[in-house]
Formats: sequence, C-alpha cells, structure tokens
Amino acid sequence: MNKNKLLLGLFLGTTISLTSCGDDGDDPGISISEPATYVFTRDGESTVSFSGQTTRILMAEEIIDALKESDLVDAETVIDAMFAHVEGANDFEDASLNTSDKSVRSKTAASSDFFSANTAEAAAVKEDFDAWIAAQVMEVFPVWDTEATAGVAGQIQEAGGGSIRYINAKGLEYNQAFNKGLIGALMADQILNNYVSTSVLDAGTNKEDNDAGTVADGKSYTNMEHKWDEAYGYAYGTAASTASPNATVGADDSFLNKYIGRVKGDEDFAGIAADIYNAFKLGRAAIVAGDYTTRDTQADIIREKISTVIAVRAVYYLQQGKATIGSDNGAAFHDLSEGYGFIYSLQFTRQPGTSMPYFTRTEVEGMIEDLMAGNGFWDVTATKLDEISNEIAAKFSFTVEQAGS
Amino acid sequence: MRKKSLISMLIAFSLCALLIGCSDDELGQSGDNFDREAMLQNWADNIIIPGYQTYVDDLKELNSAVELFTTSPSSDNLNSLRSAWLEANLSWQAVGMFEIGKAEELTLINYTNIYPTNTTDLIETIASGNYDLTSVNRQDEQGFPAIEFLIYGIRDTDQEIIDLFLQETAEQPYKTYLNDLADRLETMAQSVLGDWQNGYRDTFVNNSGSESTSSVNKLVNDYIFYYEKHLRAGKIGIPAGVFSSEKSTGKVEGLYSGNSKELFMAGLQAMQDFFNGKSPNSNLAVEGEGLKSYLDFVNTVTEGEDLGALINVQFIAAREKAEMLSENFRTQVGNNNNLMLETYDELQKNVVNLKVDMLQSLNIRVDFVDADGD
Repeated sequence: MNKNKLLLGLFLGTTISLTSCGDDGDDPGISISEPATYVFTRDGESTVSFSGQTTRILMAEEIIDALKESDLVDAETVIDAMFAHVEGANDFEDASLNTSDKSVRSKTAASSDFFSANTAEAAAVKEDFDAWIAAQVMEVFPVWDTEATAGVAGQIQEAGGGSIRYINAKGLEYNQAFNKGLIGALMADQILNNYVSTSVLDAGTNKEDNDAGTVADGKSYTNMEHKWDEAYGYAYGTAASTASPNATVGADDSFLNKYIGRVKGDEDFAGIAADIYNAFKLGRAAIVAGDYTTRDTQADIIREKISTVIAVRAVYYLQQGKATIGSDNGAAFHDLSEGYGFIYSLQFTRQPGTSMPYFTRTEVEGMIEDLMAGNGFWDVTATKLDEISNEIAAKFSFTVEQAGS
Repeated sequence: MRKKSLISMLIAFSLCALLIGCSDDELGQSGDNFDREAMLQNWADNIIIPGYQTYVDDLKELNSAVELFTTSPSSDNLNSLRSAWLEANLSWQAVGMFEIGKAEELTLINYTNIYPTNTTDLIETIASGNYDLTSVNRQDEQGFPAIEFLIYGIRDTDQEIIDLFLQETAEQPYKTYLNDLADRLETMAQSVLGDWQNGYRDTFVNNSGSESTSSVNKLVNDYIFYYEKHLRAGKIGIPAGVFSSEKSTGKVEGLYSGNSKELFMAGLQAMQDFFNGKSPNSNLAVEGEGLKSYLDFVNTVTEGEDLGALINVQFIAAREKAEMLSENFRTQVGNNNNLMLETYDELQKNVVNLKVDMLQSLNIRVDFVDADGD
C-alpha cells in the first residue's frame, strides 16, 4: 500500500513536471508570465544593460564604411586600428567610440564554448578578417576606377545604371565578406556560443547569486541577468526601441538585426523575428524567476532561429546570384559576395542541444573553395551554386526554394 | 445498392478532386479552356509589333533630327530635335513593358531609359572619345535620358547649347556622341522589331501553354514587373522618397525637358490598354483578347466585384490622381510631394489586384522577387 502510494506519487510528480515543460516552466513553485516587452527592473531601477554591444555594432559600422573609402590615407593601418581599437585612440568619427575600451577584433571568434580552448582556430578567423582588410586596401583600392575582368580586380557596374561594385580578381567584394562574415564571427558567435550558454550564464557563483538576488558590484543587475542582456544587445543593441525592437527590426544595423528583418520579410519565415525576440524575453524572465530549465529551452530556440537566419541568407544570395550570373555580373557578384560572407558565418552557428555548429570550419572552407575555384565568380556555374545551396538547406528545416525567393 | 453507389460516387469524386489537384499544381496546367493562342495573336499582331513599328519610325525621325541639328545647329533645328525626342520617347513608353525575346536578350530597357543619366561619367566618356555603348557600365550614359541631357541640360540656356554644338569644328566629340546615341537606339529597336517579324512572332504565339516558360506566363510576369518597378517605383515612388529616407527630385524622368507627367501618362495608358487587349492603332471601343477578357472568362470575382472591372477602375483612379500633378515631377516633389505619394498609393492598389488576385485567378506564378536593395 505504501509502495503503491509512493508509485502513485511518482506518477503524479512525473505528470506535473511533464505538464510544466509543456507550459514553459509554469510549475507550482515558479511562475513565469511572458513579459510584454524587454523591460526588467529591480527596486524601480532598470536591470537591463548592453552598452558594450551597442558600441561594438557602431564600431563595426564605421569599419565597413572605411572599407569603401578608397582615398583613405594609410588605409590598412587606419582600418586595422579601427578593428583592434585601443581605449583613447582616435580611430572613429563618433568620438564616444574612441573613449571606449571595447574592440571588435577582441570579440571576433571569442566565444567561451567554441574558442576558449581553441585559440588556434580563433586566431585563424581573426587572420581572415585582417586579410580581407589588407586585400581590400592592396588589391582593390589601387584599381578603384578601372574596369574589372576575369582574373583582374577593379570595378563592375550593375545593369540599368545600378551600383558600382569593387571586386578582386575572382569577383569577390572583400567588404561584403567582412561585413557578412562578422555577423557569424561576432554577433552569432557571441550570442549562441557565449552569452546564452550555461558555461557563461552559470559561471562562478552566478547561479547562487541570481537565486539570492545578489547584484554585481555597484550594479542593479545580477551577473546572470547581465550576460543574457549582452546576448540580446548583439541583436538589438542599436534598435530604435530596445525594449520593443521588432517594430524596426531590419533597419537598425548592417549586421544580424538587418538580416533577422530580411528573413522575416520572406513569407516562408514570417514568424521568425517574433520567435527570436520572444525567446530572449521569456529567457530573461526565466532568469529573474530562477527557472533555468525554461531559460535553457529559450537559449536553444535562439540558437536554432539565429542559425536559420544565417543559413537562409546564404542560400538566398547564392540563388539570387544564380539568377543574374552571365547577364548582369555586377549584380550577381554582389549577391555571391554576400553569400560568401554568410557561408563563412555558418561555422559560428549552433545546433540546439549540442556543442556543434551546423557546419564546421573545414566544411565551410570546402564550400568556399568550391565557390572560388579557378577565376571564382567569373567561372562559377548554376549547378555549383545549386549544389552548395542544397548542401546548406539539407541541414535545416527549409528548402532551397523557400530560402531562395 | 443505393449505399454502394453513393460510395462509388464518393470514390469517383475524390479521384476527380485528386486529378484536378494534380493538373492544377503539379503539371502546372491552368485548368481553364481559355484560348491563350488567340490572346497571344492579338498581343503580337495588334499590340506589340505595331508598337515597335511606330517606335522604330519615330526613332528614324529622331535620327534625322539629330543629324540636322548637329550639321546645322540652330534654334529651329533644336526645337525639331526636341519634338522628335519626345515623340520617340512617348512611343517607347508603349513597348518598354515587353522585355521578352530579343528585347530580353539585349536587356533593351537598360540601354534605353535609365535615369537619372550619370552626367559626370557621360561628360568624361564624351571627352575621352573612347567608349563601348554595349558595355553594362555605359547603360546610364545613353538612351533617352542621355540625349535629353545633351539637348536640354548640358548648358544653362538654349543659345549656349546651340553654341556648344556650333563651336565644335575639327574635333566633334559632342556631335559624334549625340549621333551615336540616336543610332544605337534605332539599331536596337530595329533588331527587336526585325526579330518579331522574322520568326519570333510564331515562336511567341505557338508557345501557348501554361508552364512557367510559356509566352503568357512570361509576358504577364514582365508586365507586372514593369508596372511595379518602372511605372510605380521608377516614375513616382523613387523621386517621392517612398523607398528612401528623403525625396529625390533629381531622379525624376524628364528631369531636363520637364516632360515627366506626359511620359508617365503615356506609360500608364499603355499598361491599361495592354490589360484590355487594345491595339494602339485602334479607335474601336471593342477590344481584342487580353488579360481583361481572360479574367472575364474565368469569371473572377473579388469581394463581390468583377476583378477585370476592378483593375480598370483602379487604373482610372490612378490616372485621375496623376492628372493633378505638375508637368515636371521635379517641381511636384519639391512643392507638394503629398500628391506624388497619393498617386503612388493609387498605383500600389493595382499591384495587389494584378500581382496577387489576377495571378491567382490565372494560375501564374510570380517569377521575380523584390530587390533586396543593399
């Protein structure tokens, strides 16, 4: 009888915890209601802070602008200094950035999960970005005004009096590789593999402090709350309304925010921006409530959805490039250069529930090698672009057709 | 017995449904019996070929006028040249939407009517005397907008323009370039018309199926693309700042001549006429087979209204709104941009009618996406 009661109790307990999972952690001890906006307070004071992320996004914006200033004097040194900014150096037009002790380069390929014990690969990624800066200055700036041909760097105009693109001998725009590559190496890597990871959220005494409501020295937030907010900042740090960013998502920066907005605009992925924002919001509320299961569920949603944004854009640009290659190479090469950057970014994605990216660095390098073989974009075929598109889509729950339009 | 027959009826019915489902989606058939070939014939023989014929004739006139003006620059000859430029440009508005066949191969529109013309590059190109007008890089330095700049905008007054051409004696880069531009327009147009007359007409008419590469599906896509990108965005939306943070008076069509409204109206009228299957050479009230009669045939009703009629009502609403605009849209954007925005809104309403409702009714899939813009 006793034994039966115990079994019954276990059975009931199981039922409750199962139910609680389904209800996003709404179990008897802890109750989380999803907040309407990303606003969190303690004793009447906001506990949300991500100024460091906003700063880095703004620095990155100035760097990608500088990559198009062909008349910049001593350009390589200047842009390198912007990338690896040192506090007090006069690197940026926005003076408030100069006083900052943050730098973009130091957080490039610098997540705890992927790179803290893999400094060789981290260094290789940083070198890729350094190399794109150097090549832009040395290969492309000097031929800014001459027409490019297969095997020869220079400029190429899009049809119909369109934009002029500045490409290397293989058709690649280094500034696009840098810009779109940074979405993976900085924004996605810091969010998915660092700030929403248990290795960071639960580091040191973070859990005990968060449970006890012990705030960081001189701050209004607990360390764990702050880590989560820093993840949030890489997506929404320059939003017009940081509390409710989806009204302007896509228009707030040139990096992850922009492409969350772009993918949201494709009706095949219409709900994705709301999914990402809601997961950030609910995860943050779960931290306040001390419900770490719900928090981690939201972290996995964020990982899956942001990885999807990157993969969709990689396929999208390959397919767009395919549509105009041969007839309008200016437009095609621009699309393929963006695709190149998004493919590069795939190595920083994260399969939920694992410690693995959707594509390893080696796999990414293989795809890029395929894309750039021979004279690169001048030689690439529709078949090759479809092959790479299919390879990417196969690991996700979308089709090439859905992403490509 | 009764029960059994009911079941077999049900089975037969679901099989039917399955078959219809297949023919609709997987085989890409339209599932209607509309005579697409008759519509293609009307398009080719009564609208497209006569349209190009007029266009080519007007370009010949333009070419003669350019020759006359460059040989004897005078006020009279400049005025005739300007009239010839406008006539040819108005005829262009009636064929610009047919980017199919040879026109598609040449990307005719990109070499004919890209505005604003890049005046800095254009002047450099003229000065260099070394250019290849077939290069993609030169698309914004030729066509109607480039000619317009040379005969209206290159100097501040008419007399100064005449003087510029008068002063050219031994080296004549401006005269040469102006002649080259007019020649190129005529050569391209001839090549497109010639292609229609020498075989492409039959290829076009015989490709009367309903797959995505069929003539109807392709041309309807071109038509909507032109409506959305060139008529709605290019002529109205972009100068009015719909797609950017600010207005761009410098991006209007007819910037130097001030003929923006006349060109826009011609384009709008041509798009409505094509919708109604109406030949430019016909004054008849009765129109030929076209998208309107096709929609009537499949009897499309949207929110209780006949879609074909609804589209015509919306074309008229856009025209009535546009009637209120100034001749030169540069002035309009500067003085009262709101009216430009209102015109845009009227045009936009027909994008929904055409691109969503019409395409669904005719079972045509859109083959283009909106440009990403970065």
